[in-house]
Amino acid sequence: MVITEDLSIEEKLTILTDAAKYDVACTSSGVDRKGKAGGMGNTAACGICHSFAADGRCISLLKILYTNECIYDCKYCINRISNDTQRTSFTPDEICELTMQFYRRNYIEGLFLSSGIRKNPTSTMEEIYIALYRLREIHHFNGYIHVKAIPGADSGIIERIGYLADRMSTNLELPTAAGLQEMAPNKTRKIILAPMKQIQRGIGERNRSGIHRIGAGRKNDRAIGKEPLTGNTGTDKKVRQDGWGLEPLPSAREKERKDMLLYHGSQDLLMEQEDNRQIILPSSDHKNFVPAGQSTQMIVGATQENDYQILTVAQALYHKYDMKRVFYSAYVALNEDSKLPALGTKPPLLREHRLYQADWLLRFYGFTAEELLTEDRPNFNVYLDPKCEWALRHLEYFPVEINQATYQMLLRIPGIGVKSARRIIMARKSARLDFDNLKRIGVVLKRAHYFITCNGKMMYQTKIDEDYITRRILELDRRKNWELDYNVTFRQLSLFDDMDVSGILT
Amino acid sequence: MENQVIYLCEDTPDGIFSAIYDAWAAGIPEERMSIQVERLHAMQLFTDYVYVQTDLDKAVKVARSIKGKISKEVYDMIYCASLSFEEDKIDAIYHFLKLGFRYGGQVIQMHGEDAVCRVFELKRNVWNETHSFREFVRFHDSKEGILISRIRPKNQVLPMLAHHFSDRFPEENFVILDEVHEMGVFHERGKQWYLAPLESTVLDRIWSHKASEEYEKLWKVFFRTIAIKERENYRCQRNLCALRYRDYMLEFH
Repeated sequence: MVITEDLSIEEKLTILTDAAKYDVACTSSGVDRKGKAGGMGNTAACGICHSFAADGRCISLLKILYTNECIYDCKYCINRISNDTQRTSFTPDEICELTMQFYRRNYIEGLFLSSGIRKNPTSTMEEIYIALYRLREIHHFNGYIHVKAIPGADSGIIERIGYLADRMSTNLELPTAAGLQEMAPNKTRKIILAPMKQIQRGIGERNRSGIHRIGAGRKNDRAIGKEPLTGNTGTDKKVRQDGWGLEPLPSAREKERKDMLLYHGSQDLLMEQEDNRQIILPSSDHKNFVPAGQSTQMIVGATQENDYQILTVAQALYHKYDMKRVFYSAYVALNEDSKLPALGTKPPLLREHRLYQADWLLRFYGFTAEELLTEDRPNFNVYLDPKCEWALRHLEYFPVEINQATYQMLLRIPGIGVKSARRIIMARKSARLDFDNLKRIGVVLKRAHYFITCNGKMMYQTKIDEDYITRRILELDRRKNWELDYNVTFRQLSLFDDMDVSGILT
Repeated sequence: MENQVIYLCEDTPDGIFSAIYDAWAAGIPEERMSIQVERLHAMQLFTDYVYVQTDLDKAVKVARSIKGKISKEVYDMIYCASLSFEEDKIDAIYHFLKLGFRYGGQVIQMHGEDAVCRVFELKRNVWNETHSFREFVRFHDSKEGILISRIRPKNQVLPMLAHHFSDRFPEENFVILDEVHEMGVFHERGKQWYLAPLESTVLDRIWSHKASEEYEKLWKVFFRTIAIKERENYRCQRNLCALRYRDYMLEFH
């Protein structure tokens, strides 16, 4: 390992940005904080992107590594010890200076600091702590900070950092313990889950102690496994009889879901961790522990896990760890290894896209993983979005009458999102809605019209027939999918994925 | 047949609220009355023109009665819509307010009404553009330590931007120049921001004070390095950051 100390700031920035770029969670969302006199910065709960890189990904935070030196040898990672790359580190002051100067020019929303592991996890996190402490206390930086919790670090240092950061994340890396064992010999599932549990508890303590009630750990802003938003969106009890209401609600299937998860080897996600560590309240200014909550990420396509396994794990993380977000990262083949896809294999971008869409369905639309995929059909159709796919397999619920359907049922119609469903519920209190109203409300009619009626009539004379609607919708999506999946070889590969023979190809 | 009446007013929230006050007081039926922005209007036949003098007292009265009799939410929405570049904005706002004074705060839910939908669209458009500039405004440092930036927006987004950046940078001196509407917003550390009209020569003179320096170079390095080559997707990049915003974004030059 070549460690270079005397590099210019520009050279360091190049090396440590390049080494950090594969991490996905570049979001600045989850916490609203006003600016304050004497300081610099505020945060917006919606998050603010500041630029978009050549790969179309948003640039919100200054995403860098503290150091790219690393004692670990995770097969998929560009910074693994066995790679012969130039190594360097920032100093805490360099990080502060870059963050402050970028921030005041409105280049960034804050800092996203991750790191390789220099001596051991604890000492690396202690160095990160020094940088963050100076940024907050000496430079009075009041913007967003996202920091990685390094698995295996001492709980005391994770806690101290938690009071300086807005968001923390611990990468799950791979959806199953077996995959992790194969790819990351220095990590175990247990070591990864420990800081997650600690952070979750810390956030919980905070909320219970009543000192602060910021979004973290709060579940009522989304719809996981619960009947979403019944009271306040005007769901009409009478109407429910003919619609979605008679079906057993997703939450009624809790037991079934647990069984499935056990089957898929994610039982460790569901078990309570042994952790008796206490959260000590600090006396300083920073009384919010990870106010924007925690997130995690999984690598997609490096190992053989199917979409069903990935999604059930994500669901368990939302349920059991109060994750704000689970990110999916299409594996970019960087390293040569017999257990990994060959160098030059294109990242499975469309598959990643489908997982993100399904993730939204879990968080905001009241779907469960088991509704979207099953053991017999463990992968998404790359040509159709998961919500459309679900609707086409459940045409017995359609067409839905817009002027009567429940909020939950509106959410299940392709072409209607959370915003338009809410607007429909509000608007129909004062008038009966027609197709023109729906268009103005923001409903995507070219998709929705196959599934709805307004005042008993459909928009065109269309059949409620699976093949017919599938064909028409594929027609609509063809161009979009082509753009997403501009890479032809990947498309062919993913067809084989569906047949579960991709192992033969690699 | 009676002539059409058109009120012409200044294209500012105060000017627009003054015109709404005058039109309301005159009580001409909506079918033959319209309120237009002076700058945009082409004269037409069989029309009586009324030039509205911007009057702060009248504007404040209108604002107060919207907040009191309808709701603060509606006021915020109307204010935002009044910054739109669309020609029909004042008529839409006027009709919306008539409904508002009849139905109160619930007017905001009446998506079946054209005027309500239209005001929503206007507001959304102004808000979206504001948000884009919250993202894409780039400040340049100057010798004097003042942060300077320049934008080319469709709507008059400056007041909304000033609100955001003065909260974010309370200790900084900064200027944002809007070359389309020839306006600037000025913020001095620790003080309240203010808006001022600027002639284009003055605007250019302020802009010329920006210095190019090390951090701009570092930002370009970061911007270039953070992209993953295997995922290159310029179409996606363009969808998320339209070309029209890039004029003054240094990383694209």
